Amino acid sequence: MAELKTYVLGRKTIEDLEALDQSDIKDDLQEIPSELMTINMGPSHPAMHGTVRIVLTVDGERIVASDVQPGFLHRCFEKESEYATYTQIFPYTDRLNYVSPMINNVGYALAVEKLLDMDRDIPERAKYIRVIVSEISRITDHLTCIGASAMELGAFTVFFYYIKAREWLFDLLEELSGARLTYSYVRVGGVVNDLTDDFEAKLNQHLSGLETILGEVETLLNNNKIFRDRMEGVGPFSREKALAWGLTGPVARACGLDYDVRKDYPYLVYDRFDFDVPVGTTGDCFDRFLVRVEEMRQSIRILRQAFEQIPDGPVMIDDPRVALPDKQAAYNTIEAMIRHFKHIMDGIRVPPGEAYTFVEGGNGELGFFIVADGTGQPYKCYCRSPSFITLQTVPELIKGHLIADVVPIFGMINMIGGECDK
Amino acid sequence: MSDHKTDNKPDKTAAGKAETTPPNTVTLTIDGREVTVPPNTNVLEAAQSIGIEISHFCYHPGLSIAACCRQCLVKVDKMPKLQPSCQLIASDGMVVHIADPDATLARQQMLEFTLLNHPVDCPICDKAGECTLQRFYFDHDNAPSRLDVAKVRKPKVVDLGPHIVLDAERCILCTRCIRVCDEVAGEHQLEMRYRSDREELGTAPGAVLDNPYSINTVDVCPVGALTAKDFRFTMRAWELMATPSVCNGCATGCNIEIHHKNERAWRLIPRHNPDVNQYWMCDEGRFTYRALRDNRLAGPVIDGLPASWDRALGVAADKLKAALDGDKSKLGVILSAQHSNEDNFVLSKLARDIWQLGKIYLGGKAPVPERADDKLRDADVNPNTAGVKAVARAAGYTLGDKSALERDLTGGTLSALLVLGNDIELSDEALTALAGLDALIVIASSEDRIARRTDVTLPCAMWAESHGTITNRQGRVQRMHAAFPPPGQAMPAWEIINRLGQACDVALGYTHPRTIFKELCGAVDAFKDAEWGKPVRPLQLRFAGSRG
Repeated sequence: MAELKTYVLGRKTIEDLEALDQSDIKDDLQEIPSELMTINMGPSHPAMHGTVRIVLTVDGERIVASDVQPGFLHRCFEKESEYATYTQIFPYTDRLNYVSPMINNVGYALAVEKLLDMDRDIPERAKYIRVIVSEISRITDHLTCIGASAMELGAFTVFFYYIKAREWLFDLLEELSGARLTYSYVRVGGVVNDLTDDFEAKLNQHLSGLETILGEVETLLNNNKIFRDRMEGVGPFSREKALAWGLTGPVARACGLDYDVRKDYPYLVYDRFDFDVPVGTTGDCFDRFLVRVEEMRQSIRILRQAFEQIPDGPVMIDDPRVALPDKQAAYNTIEAMIRHFKHIMDGIRVPPGEAYTFVEGGNGELGFFIVADGTGQPYKCYCRSPSFITLQTVPELIKGHLIADVVPIFGMINMIGGECDK
Repeated sequence: MSDHKTDNKPDKTAAGKAETTPPNTVTLTIDGREVTVPPNTNVLEAAQSIGIEISHFCYHPGLSIAACCRQCLVKVDKMPKLQPSCQLIASDGMVVHIADPDATLARQQMLEFTLLNHPVDCPICDKAGECTLQRFYFDHDNAPSRLDVAKVRKPKVVDLGPHIVLDAERCILCTRCIRVCDEVAGEHQLEMRYRSDREELGTAPGAVLDNPYSINTVDVCPVGALTAKDFRFTMRAWELMATPSVCNGCATGCNIEIHHKNERAWRLIPRHNPDVNQYWMCDEGRFTYRALRDNRLAGPVIDGLPASWDRALGVAADKLKAALDGDKSKLGVILSAQHSNEDNFVLSKLARDIWQLGKIYLGGKAPVPERADDKLRDADVNPNTAGVKAVARAAGYTLGDKSALERDLTGGTLSALLVLGNDIELSDEALTALAGLDALIVIASSEDRIARRTDVTLPCAMWAESHGTITNRQGRVQRMHAAFPPPGQAMPAWEIINRLGQACDVALGYTHPRTIFKELCGAVDAFKDAEWGKPVRPLQLRFAGSRG
C-alpha cells in the first residue's frame, strides 16, 4: 500500500509535489481532514477505453495508489494458437489490436516467414501492399485513440470528424479484404489478393480528406484552453523511466525516446521511404497527442511514396510449401487437390525452430515469438503486445493526479483490451 | 503410443538370453551420419532409427518385403543402380545417400507415376487426412500435375467380401493387403491381375475377402482403395479423437485406439504392441464398439422402474444389510471377467475382507471354442479372466464357476446375490431360482440378460468410458483410458461399489482408480511391477500428422 500523503492542487507532477516543503503551504485541502477511500473505476465505465478495471485508492480527489486489473478480454490467444494451423491464427491476430488488425497480420506473417526462411523471397508488390495496409491501419488506430480521448474530454466534434475519416479508411479496407474490422488479409507468403483497381484513387481522395480533417481538428484542439488544461502536464513520464519500463511506440516517443521499429530495424520496404519520427519532450498527455497526430501525417507521406514506388507483379509467393494452388487446378488435378487439402487440414509445414519478429504497431513494438516443431501448428506463439507493457505504467502515471485525470491519461495510453489481454 | 500402456516388465528369461549373446551390430553411414543397428535390419528401418523417413508404400513393418512400389529408392556407394531401401539389408561400412539428387529425383518421379492416374477423390475419400499418399506428396514432392491425357478409369465400387469395398482407381498397387491376407490371416484371397497402368486388385479365383482379420487390409492400405463397410462414409477421419485402450473382445487383449467423437466411438484401430498383437486385431474385436451404444442403462432401476441413485442405493443397501444380518452364508457375490481389475478388486475387498463372505463366483460370458485360433482370437471372450483370478488368489479364496453358481441357486443355498456385470448366461432352472431370490442386485452396463430380472440394477460405465487395467491371457496388465463419459447417470463400477459400501456403512474411500490400482499392486503378486502410467489426452487425428 502506498503511504498516506497530502497533495496540493495546482501542481501537475509528482516530482514537483515531492520537492515542496509541505509546511510552507497553506491550502484548503490540507486543512480538511480526510481519510483514504477505495473506489472502483471500470470495467464498464463510460470514460474508460476498453474493458479494464482500476481500483483507485483516493485521498479526496487525489489518487494515492491504484490497482489496474486487465484480463476481461482474455481470449487465450497464445494457447489457442497452439491448437490452430499457422493460417488459422490470422483471424486470431485480427482480434489483438482490433483498430489496426492489418499490422498484427503483417507482424505474425513475418514471424512465420522467418521460420520458413522465405522472408527475402516475398514478392515486392506484396511487401508494398503490406506497408500500405499497415500505414492505413496506423492512421485508423491513432484516429480512434485521439477521437475517443477528445470526446471523453468534452470535444465531441473531434470524435465525429475523426471517426468519419476512419470510416473512409475502414470502408476501403473492407473493399480490399471483405471485412470491416477483422481483415485476415495477409497470408504467409504474401497477401490474399491484389489491391482493388480503384484502391489508389480512392485512397488518395481519402488522404486529402484526412489532411483537411487533421487541419480542422488542429484548430479545434491545439489551442483549446480546456483541452490543453486537461492534457498539458498530465501524466508526464521521463525518458529514463520510459526506457526502464520498456515502453515503445507513441507513448515512448512522447517521452523523448527516439525509437521506431520502422526506422531502427526496418522491415519490409520501410528503408525505402522518407519519413520522420516525431519525438516529444515532457512525455505528458499533450505530447502523446501531438506525436500521434504527427505520426498520421508521416503515414500519409509513406502511403504517397509507396504508391509511387509499388511495382507490378504477384502478391503471393510461388512456393508450394505455403501457397494454395489455384482453384481450377485443385478441382481438376490430384496433385493440387492434395496440396490444397493438406494446407487446409494439416496446415503449412513449418520446419522446427524459433523466431521473433517485431513491427511498429499502433501502440508500439508488436512482437511475435513462435516456436515451431515441424508440424502444421506452432508449438508456442507468444505475442509481445505493446498495450500490455504500456498498461503497467498506469499506476505510476496516475499516482498523484486527480480522478478526472485518469481519463486523458488512460485515453492517450490507448490501451486496447484485445491486445493487452491477448 | 506403446509408452501409454501399463505392462509387466519383460520376463526374466528373455532378458537373460539377451545378456548371454554378445551384442552383434552393424554400422553404416546414412547421409553422413553413422548409424549402428542390429544385423538383418534394412536400410529403411536404419534410417528411421535416426529420424529420417524414406517415403515408402509397399513396405510395412509387420509384413514381408515386396519392394514393388520403388518409392524408397536410395543411392548406395559401390552399387551401380539405385536400391530399394526396404529390401536392402544394412551391412558394415555401407554408405547410403538418401538426400542425393539422383535418389530424390527418382523418388519424386515414382510419386508422380503413382499420382498419375489417381482420381481427384480427396473430398469424398474416407482415407483423406490419414492417407500416406497425401503425406508423401506434400512432404516430398509438391510438384504440379503434368498429365495432359485422360486418366485410366477403373471400377469405383467393387464388393470384395462381407466387410470390405474396393475402389480400384485409388489403388496404388502396393500389395500390402494381399500380404496381410497371406501372412496374417493365412488365407490367399486377394490377387493382382492385368499389367501396367491397367493393373488391378481383385479377389483370387473362387475366393472372397472373408477372413477373421480382413479389416486389417484397410488399416495397411496407404490410400483409400480399401474401405471398411462399417466405417465407410460415416465420419471424416481427421475429426476423430484417438484414445489408447485395450480390446475387450477376448482374453488376448489386443492394444487398440478408440477413435471417438461427440462422446461416441466410431471405430477401433489396432495399436502396435510387439508382445501382444503386433499391428493387428480381428474383425470381431473391431465391432465391439457397437456394444457401447446398444441397450445401455442410463439410470438406476428398481423393480423395472427408473429410480434415483439415492433411492436405488438405499434399497440395495437395505436388502444387503438384511442379508448380512441374517444367514451370511446365503449371500453370494459374483465378480466379473468383463470388468477391470479395479472394479473386481474393490468388490472382492468388500465381499471377502469386510463382509467375510464365502460364496464368491466368477461371472462373464461363456467361452466360444470355435472362434479360437493360434493367432489372436481366444476362446475365452472375457477380457479379464486372468485378472479376476489373480485378485481372488491373492485374497486367498477360490472363485466358484458357473456350474457352482447354478448348483447353489437351484439347491437353494443362496438367498441374495450381488452381481457385477450382466453377461452371465444361466440355465433355465437357475434363472427361475434367480427370480425367487430375496435380493438380486446387479451392477450392469446394459439391460440385457440378467439385468432384466433384478430387484435393483445400478448402471455402470463400460470399458471405453472408465480408466482401469485388465489382465490378458499372458498375464500382462494393460491399461485402458476413458475415451468419453458413460451415458446418462451411469458411473464406473468401482465408484458404484464404493457408494454401495458407504450405504452399507462401510467406508471404502476410493476416489480414483489409480489409488485402487496402487493398493492392488501391493496386495496382488501378479501386479507387483505394473505401473499406472501417465494420463493421456485424446489425440486429435487432424493434428497427429497423417499416420498413413
